[in-house]
Amino acid sequence: MSILADKNTRVLIQGITGTQAAFHVKKSIQGGTKVVCGTSPRHGGETHLDVPVFNTVADAQRACKFDASVLFVPAQAVKSAVREAVEAEVPLIVSIAEGVPVHDMLEIKAMLNGSKTLMIGPNTPGLITPEEARLGIFPENIHHKGKIGILSRASTLTYEAVLETNKANLGQSTVIGLGDDMIVGTDYRELLKRFMDDDETKAVVLVGKANSCYEQMVAEYYADMPHKKPVIAFIAGEALPYGYTIGYAADIVTQGRVTVADKKKIMHDSGMVVVDSMSEVHQILTDLQL
Amino acid sequence: MNIHEYQAKKILAQYGINVPEGGIAYTPAEAKRVAQKLSSRGPWMLKAQIQAGARAEGHFLEHEAGRKGGVRKVTQIKNVSYEAAQMLNNTLVTEQTDAKGRLVSKVYVEKFETVKHLFYAGMIIDSAVSTITLLISDVINESIVRIADFQTDKILRIPLKFDAAISDAQIMKILDFLLLDEKYLQSFHDFLGKLLFTFVNLDAQMIEINPVGILPDKKLVALDAKINFDDNALFRHPDIVRMHDDYEDDARKLRAYRSGFYYHEFEEGTIGCIVNGDGLALEAMDIIKAKGYSPACALNVKGGVDKDKIADGIKLIMTNPRVEGIVINVLGGFLRCNLVADGILSASQDVGLNMPLIVRFEGTNKDMARAILEESNLQVTFAEDMNEAVDELVTQMEVNA
Repeated sequence: MSILADKNTRVLIQGITGTQAAFHVKKSIQGGTKVVCGTSPRHGGETHLDVPVFNTVADAQRACKFDASVLFVPAQAVKSAVREAVEAEVPLIVSIAEGVPVHDMLEIKAMLNGSKTLMIGPNTPGLITPEEARLGIFPENIHHKGKIGILSRASTLTYEAVLETNKANLGQSTVIGLGDDMIVGTDYRELLKRFMDDDETKAVVLVGKANSCYEQMVAEYYADMPHKKPVIAFIAGEALPYGYTIGYAADIVTQGRVTVADKKKIMHDSGMVVVDSMSEVHQILTDLQL
Repeated sequence: MNIHEYQAKKILAQYGINVPEGGIAYTPAEAKRVAQKLSSRGPWMLKAQIQAGARAEGHFLEHEAGRKGGVRKVTQIKNVSYEAAQMLNNTLVTEQTDAKGRLVSKVYVEKFETVKHLFYAGMIIDSAVSTITLLISDVINESIVRIADFQTDKILRIPLKFDAAISDAQIMKILDFLLLDEKYLQSFHDFLGKLLFTFVNLDAQMIEINPVGILPDKKLVALDAKINFDDNALFRHPDIVRMHDDYEDDARKLRAYRSGFYYHEFEEGTIGCIVNGDGLALEAMDIIKAKGYSPACALNVKGGVDKDKIADGIKLIMTNPRVEGIVINVLGGFLRCNLVADGILSASQDVGLNMPLIVRFEGTNKDMARAILEESNLQVTFAEDMNEAVDELVTQMEVNA
């Protein structure tokens, strides 16, 4: 088992005719991901990467069945692409683009609220269930099928967490980059719950960062969870000046004074194992004797 | 992106928000002409235009600028050019600038407004609940982050929707908080409604009016204005992009920005970091600090760009006079490692590499990248992880020193 996507997940690619899509989707298909069709305005009727292309998600839905969509559309087009997917009730969407306007995210969050769609990203490498499904741009050569779930708010640090689980010879059940932006489609809580419900996942590595407010939220959530699996948490950015960016300052103003040290304490008190350096993770995982 | 106060006020005026009459001046004589045009009698306000707050409490580095700050009230016309001359072409340091301060190249001259009451109004985005939050405080002329830190009950926070008007109940809550009478309901509605419209329409990340004044006729006036725009949404606002003041950014930051990268310079430090991604930048800073060193600058390289842009970014780090060693950590995904290797090679050929360079590649095309550098005759050391990379760099820097 795994969460969100496995070898049976049928995947739609929105923006399939772009160059980034061509490079990464080809790799996904070679790795076994079941890509069934794609969309691209004005390319309807063509074939790309051996799958049919439609103008819109609605057109695609009339001809194909799919359970997830990966958005390879540029940042400026993410809002309308999400709208199409939400209207088509696609259960899972993954948006890779970096640079989605934050006001677009306010609208997107309003669309997602009460919908049947779960959105991962934007500004994420996506999600990968090793040897089964790769929805995004994760480098496939570093992942190994296994027992650890990974949730990360810092895209490139996700890879570091993956390497730690490899060092412990535990591998990954599913790896999810939540996205680096101030506001992303789904925060840790819903995904952590799914990992707790997944038989194959024995522990979760959580990668947070200083300038994000989701870590406190998941700590409170984890503290109240009835059935807990171990969570090992790392927060990057202890050296970051307090209130460093506009978004960080906004979090302080709305959430109150939370330094990285405060955040670590909140997470520790919730029952998570909090590490000071990512390189401690593999030893802790080994000691858990999963 | 930030803009100057005078530009922000011009925008607010376009959205129907009341601002004092004013004009911009680049010379003392121009300041006097603007003042005379605004009003036959004083007082006037002279405000140094730099993109940093706390100007009134700031000080000038130069002796001839006098001991006053960057916001000055002037009562007599003969003193306008004198005070303007003190500020212009001198360097203002405030708690929001670094110790080097900012050169004041223009002053904004305004008619002084007599007001009955002052308060703070701001709008930001609350990422925890994905809404816009209106901030109201009766503490003025103080940074909102500091108030939030130490007097958090002095801030009223009102969640607003991007697609709905502010309700009467919300306005009443604000009036109660500020201990103001119900008779101000209409003018608060008008002012805050227009402010929200501005915020949403222009993709603002933060708007601060510190302070708002209440005029004798009950109308509200924005006595100061600060707007920060979401860089990611500037493609929708070419008119705002044109307001960008290149002199406010240093040349390196500007060059990185034009390549589409994020470049940050720290006040101290000797290590240049090149990474791809926010998280790696944070990790690099943490590890460097933990080893007793400081980063001098960090370049965040994005995916989806060509190797020339990457080379240009790497040159920024190589030519930074404070940098004594460089660490590069790239985890290839969208960004392919081989492009970064090509960039390192081409940058070194252009400007020469005369300091330790440690590289760690992981992910997409890492072997190809490593081969590119190994085949060149560049002095590059490879590391398996970031801890090792920084350890190696520090060792080599100590040998060099």
